[in-house]
Amino acid sequence: MKRAAKVINVRDQAEKESSFAKDVLGPLVGMGLTINRMVDNLTGKVNATIRYPEERRAYSGRLRGAHILTAREDGSPRCVACYMCATACPADCIYIEPAEHPDPLIEKYPARFDIDMLRCVFCGFCVDACPEEAIIMSRETELGAYTRAETMWDIKRLMSRPELPEFGLGYRPNEKLVDSTIKFVPKNKEKKRLAGRVTLKEDVEMIAHVTFDPTKD
Amino acid sequence: MPKFTLNGQEVEAKAGQTIIQAAGDHGIEIPHYCYHPDLPIDGNCRMCLVDVEKMPKLTPACTTIVNEGMVVRSDNPRVKEAVRGVLEFLLINHPVDCPVCDQAGECRLQDYYMVYGLHTSEIPLGMKVRKRKVIDLGPMVVLDQERCVLCSRCIRFFDNVTGTGEMQFFGRGDHVAIGTFEDRPLDNPYSGNVVDICPVGALTSRDFRFKCRVWFLHATNSICAGCSTGCATRIDHRDGAIFRMIARRNPEVNRSWLCDEGRLSFHELTRSERVIQPSIKGSDGVQTPITWEDALQSVDQRLKQIRDANGGSSILGFGSPSATNEGLFLFKRYLTEQLGATQFEFRIDSEDKKVLDEEDQILRHFDKHPNSMGAIKLGLISDDLDGIDGAIRAARDGRIKAAVIIYFNPLVRRPSDDEAEGRIIELIDELKYSVVLAAHKADWHASADVVLPVAAWSEEEGTYTNFEGRVQFAAKAIESAGDALPIWEVFAMLIHASGAESRWMSAENVFATMTEQSQPYSRITFEQTQLPGVVLASC
Repeated sequence: MKRAAKVINVRDQAEKESSFAKDVLGPLVGMGLTINRMVDNLTGKVNATIRYPEERRAYSGRLRGAHILTAREDGSPRCVACYMCATACPADCIYIEPAEHPDPLIEKYPARFDIDMLRCVFCGFCVDACPEEAIIMSRETELGAYTRAETMWDIKRLMSRPELPEFGLGYRPNEKLVDSTIKFVPKNKEKKRLAGRVTLKEDVEMIAHVTFDPTKD
Repeated sequence: MPKFTLNGQEVEAKAGQTIIQAAGDHGIEIPHYCYHPDLPIDGNCRMCLVDVEKMPKLTPACTTIVNEGMVVRSDNPRVKEAVRGVLEFLLINHPVDCPVCDQAGECRLQDYYMVYGLHTSEIPLGMKVRKRKVIDLGPMVVLDQERCVLCSRCIRFFDNVTGTGEMQFFGRGDHVAIGTFEDRPLDNPYSGNVVDICPVGALTSRDFRFKCRVWFLHATNSICAGCSTGCATRIDHRDGAIFRMIARRNPEVNRSWLCDEGRLSFHELTRSERVIQPSIKGSDGVQTPITWEDALQSVDQRLKQIRDANGGSSILGFGSPSATNEGLFLFKRYLTEQLGATQFEFRIDSEDKKVLDEEDQILRHFDKHPNSMGAIKLGLISDDLDGIDGAIRAARDGRIKAAVIIYFNPLVRRPSDDEAEGRIIELIDELKYSVVLAAHKADWHASADVVLPVAAWSEEEGTYTNFEGRVQFAAKAIESAGDALPIWEVFAMLIHASGAESRWMSAENVFATMTEQSQPYSRITFEQTQLPGVVLASC
C-alpha cells in the first residue's frame, strides 16, 4: 500500500502557536540583548579587537609555522640530506646540498639546506616525510623581511632560532618516534592571550581552538 | 623448443633456457638478486624459488632448465610465503639506512619488500650484526658491507668478465662480508660495472655519490661516444645537467657492461668553455658575434667566391669522427652539390686510423671516436691527403684555399689530443678562409674566420656507426648550450641559404634521405637503429 506523504501546514501551525508574548515581547527581549552587548562594547567591557602586536592570539599547539632544523647532541644537524622533504614539498622550496660526513655511521650531512620562505606554503609535508625528525615546525608566523634575500633561510638560521621561546614549537607529529634534541627551553608559563571569542573576558584563560558542539549551540 | 605451463599458461621456451629466462621472455618477472643474464648462474640468493609440479620442494628458477611439460607456478601462496621468508632473512642484518643510501629508489630490497615483504622486522636495530661502512675501493666504487645481500654478482663479474678476481667473501656465518684483500682499490678499467650490477646499495658509485637522488633523474637512451665500440648507455639527467651514465643491455655489442672511461666521459662536456654564439672575424681580425642567418649567408657567399676563383677542388671538407651520420651526410652533400668540393678527410692523428684495433679483449677500442666507421662509409676519406698532415701540405702548396672543419673535443682524452688541436691551428693558419664548427672553445678559436656553435653528443639525436658497421641511434638528452644547433641542422640551413631545396625537419628525415642516396646505408630503416642496432651490409 502506498503511503501518503505527511503534509504540515506551516501557516496553520504558526497561527495556532501564536500568542501576545511571543509576537510582541520576543523581539523586545532580543533587542535588549543587542543593546546590552552594544553597551558592553562601547564601555570597553568586552572588546572584539586585540591590540596586536602587544597582544597576540594564542595559536594551536600544532600550528605550522616557520621550520626548525633539530640538532644532534653535539650541535650538528640531525638531517642526513636524504631529500625526503624536498621530494614531498609541493612548493619546491627546499634546496639541499649533501656532503660526506667524517663519521661513517652518519655518512651524509647537508652542507647547504635552504628553505625559501616566500615559496613555502606551510603544509607540513616535509615534517611528515622526515625519517629522522630533523625538520619540525615552530609556531612562528611573523616572517616579514625587508629584502627577498632575507626570506631565504639557510641552515644556520634554521638551526639557531633565538626567537623560539617567544613562539614555541608547532607541528611535530613524530616527537615520540625519534629522540631529537631541540636547543631551546620553552618558557614555563606562556603569556596570556586573548582567544577569538568575543564573549571571553580578559582574565579568562584562552581556548586553543574554538570548538563547536552542535547539540548545545 | 620445450613447451611448459607457467602460472596456468602454456608457453614456449628456447632450448636450454632456465625458468627465470623463459618467464622473463613472457613478461613474468621472478624476483632475484644473484641471477644476472650476463654472469654465470650461482643460485645463492634463493629469491627466485618457484613451485614445479611433482618436485617435492620449491626449486630456484635461475638454475632449473625448462623441460617439456613442466608445470611451474610462481604466484601461489606457497611460493609467496617462501619468498617472503627469504627476504626476511636477507633483511635480518640490513641496517635500513635508506635515507643516506644512494641506491634508494632503485634498490631491489626496497622493491621486493614492497611486493613480497611488508613484514615487521623481529630484530631491533641494536641487535643487528654491524659491519664496516664507507670503504674506499678505488676511483669508482664505495663499499658498504652492511647493505650487502651476498649475491656474489660482483665477485662473479671480476672472476669471469674481467678475469682479475679482486673481490671475495670474507668471514663466516652472519659475519660474511664482501671485500678486496686488505681493502686494495679496484683499479681495473671496468670496475664501475659492479655498481650497476649490485642489486642493493653495497657497492655505490664514487662519482655519483650524493649527487642526486635517483627519483629526480630523467633517463634517455643513448650510445657511449667514448670510443668506436658504441656501447648502449642510459644517460640520467636533470635540469639540463648529466648526472651519470650507466650501461644499457645490448647483447650484440656490450652485453651489460661499460668501461670506466666511457662511464665518466660525459664530464668532458662541461670541462671546458662552450661556444655559444656564431662569430665571424671582422676586418680588424677580431671575432664578433653574429646571428645564424648572417653567418650562414656570409659563409655561403665566401665559399662560392673561392669556388669561382679557384675551383671546387680547392675547398676541403674536414669532418669529425665524433659527429653523427646525419650531420656528416649533409656536410658532404652541401660541399659536393653546392660547392663541387672533392677533397674530404677526417683523420687528425695516427690513432684515428686504427678503427678496428682493440685496446683490450672486453670492450674498448683504440679509436676514441664514436663514428669513424660512419665517416669512412660516407666517403670522408681520401688517399692522396691521408690525414691532416696531407691536408696541411696541400694547403701549403696552395692546392687547398678554404676548409669547412668540424671539431669535437674527444670525450675520452689521450695525450695526443693536445697535439691534434695544434694540428688544426696549423691547418687554419695555412688557409685563406676557414669555417670551424665546434662545441667547445679552443686555441684555434681566434684564428678561424667563422666559428659556428654546434650541439655536442647527448645534445642532439642521431645515429652513430660503430667499428663493425653497426648503426645505432642515440636520443637527445639535454638542451645544447647557447645558440648551438645540431650539425645536420647547420648544413640543412646552409643548403637552404645557397638556394637549394632543404626540407629536413629532424635527424630522422635526414636519415631517410641518407638511406635513399648513400649506398652503404641503403636498405636500413630508422626503426632498425634502435637496440640492438643494425650492421651495414658492406661490413
